[in-house]
Amino acid sequence: MAVSLQQSSASAVIEARRAHNEKLARRADQTRATWFPLTLLAILIALPLLQFTGNYNYLLHLVLFAASYAAMASGWNILGGFAGYISLGHSVFFGIGGYFSGMILARYGVSTIVTAPLAGLVAAVMGYLIGLITLKVRGPSFIISSIALLMISRILFDNWELVGGANGLTLPMNDLPVLWAKVPYYYAMIAIAAFTVWATYRIKHSKFGLGLRAISKDEIKAESAGINTRFYKVMAFALSAFFVGMTGAVWGEYLTYLRPNIFLLILVSANLVLMCILGGKGTIAGPVVGAILIVALNELFVATMGASEINILGTGMVMALGLIFFPLGLIGTLAKTGKLPRVLNWD
Amino acid sequence: MLEVKNLCKHYGGIRAVDGASFTVEKGSITALIGPNGAGKTTAFNCISRTVTPTSGEVWLDGERVDQLRPHKITAKGLSRTFQISRNLSDMTVIENIIVQSRVEGIKGLFRPAMNAEEKDKAMSLLDFLGITRIAYEDGHNLSYGQKKLMDLAALLMSDPKIILLDEPAGGVNPSLMEEIIGHIRALNEKGLTVLIVEHNMDLIMRLSHKVVVMAQGRVICDGTPEVVRKDPQVLDAYLGGVLEEAA
Repeated sequence: MAVSLQQSSASAVIEARRAHNEKLARRADQTRATWFPLTLLAILIALPLLQFTGNYNYLLHLVLFAASYAAMASGWNILGGFAGYISLGHSVFFGIGGYFSGMILARYGVSTIVTAPLAGLVAAVMGYLIGLITLKVRGPSFIISSIALLMISRILFDNWELVGGANGLTLPMNDLPVLWAKVPYYYAMIAIAAFTVWATYRIKHSKFGLGLRAISKDEIKAESAGINTRFYKVMAFALSAFFVGMTGAVWGEYLTYLRPNIFLLILVSANLVLMCILGGKGTIAGPVVGAILIVALNELFVATMGASEINILGTGMVMALGLIFFPLGLIGTLAKTGKLPRVLNWD
Repeated sequence: MLEVKNLCKHYGGIRAVDGASFTVEKGSITALIGPNGAGKTTAFNCISRTVTPTSGEVWLDGERVDQLRPHKITAKGLSRTFQISRNLSDMTVIENIIVQSRVEGIKGLFRPAMNAEEKDKAMSLLDFLGITRIAYEDGHNLSYGQKKLMDLAALLMSDPKIILLDEPAGGVNPSLMEEIIGHIRALNEKGLTVLIVEHNMDLIMRLSHKVVVMAQGRVICDGTPEVVRKDPQVLDAYLGGVLEEAA
């Protein structure tokens, strides 16, 4: 009797294990709900049609603003989320993109929307060169080196007469009527954000992405597994700079002026980090969700509490609470516990 | 196949490896033994270039490799495991294994992380080691023994010519140790050269064709297990009569 009891409990254990393994295998093969991001994109593309019914410039501005941050946070995520190198200096590439395309606009009248990919390339080349130096260290040393990069760039741009120094540069406004003036930048920003999210998805599921994830866990192991860690890291830095640079280019013309204290601000970099942490570092949907949440919360608290110090406290409280309950970020924690709704599983 | 000449690694005043020279013949299982602090793991790290040797040369198949970066050495066909399993948590077992497969050129970087071929290969490696059931488990959730087996599977993914195993049976139970011995022997029979650091004398004596004994950073003796176990210098420095009792 005792023997048969043991046998049945042993087979129950095996059965439970098999069910568990099958569940894991199924989860690995699970199809993505690609229809959701595509529908979202379609809605955003159709959104400016609202302008025929009234003035929705404020809404367009908010979406554009969130899209710009979604693009930059997704770009940052390549280095910070996949490879695990936290950079607080990414506003430098925002500035490089903005100034490069802005100068071309000011001198030759070519819209930044056209030159944005080129601005991204310039930022990527700078990122590559800077990465060669700063990626030799990791952890806190890397974070500090990225802040140093930002401070050096700030001093440089503040004193560079060609680009207007600390006073900056005014860019020509487009001559569209006020109802439609934002629309070109709106579409440009949506396109950049969508492209960035798609690119991060492709990167995450490539050999390169797998290598970056290995680097973030254990660099020595990754290197001895045959991964050229130095090259991977520098490439990740360059790619993340590319997307931030593109966004900066369009943002400059949208604002109609370039100034070091708008672009080369640690607040921009810090926002990227916070968005990725709140949404979920290393996930695809995380930076997008984080960007939308932080932009929306900032707006909400400014509207309800005024532009006092209290609104900052409000956003901070929500961040803190979010991280207490979702330590890996919203998407990261939900995915880990298997509670992520399929529509948000973009990984 | 692998030739180590006059290898030195100094940490300040400590000479962890102090002029060690030995060779590993093609197709053999060679063991590196010695008391704690003899410099075995440091020698391993110098060979795979995880640490930079102070001086000395390492030759792999007639090619000098001690100035290459670790990933280049892996690409030349030398793969290693770590004494304390360094698996990549937050990645599934199959990802842990496929991360070691070869990537060629820039174009190769952006191809899908796991193609069907690689998946098949990884699964057949897991099957060889008898752990296909944990393929989709998070690397973090494995037991110690499973991690050791996963390390072995990952090692094989890069099609190495020679594998360096750092205490493959350290801290595993006797039945799993038998299993690991069986796997190493089977791999060797397929033509893979093995260099192994291990404390378990029983395993060393049964498995290896040649034993290299290190003490205080130097090679004090090498030869077949029979020769080494009778060498008075070895008995003196390390074995302290344990084997005499066994024999």
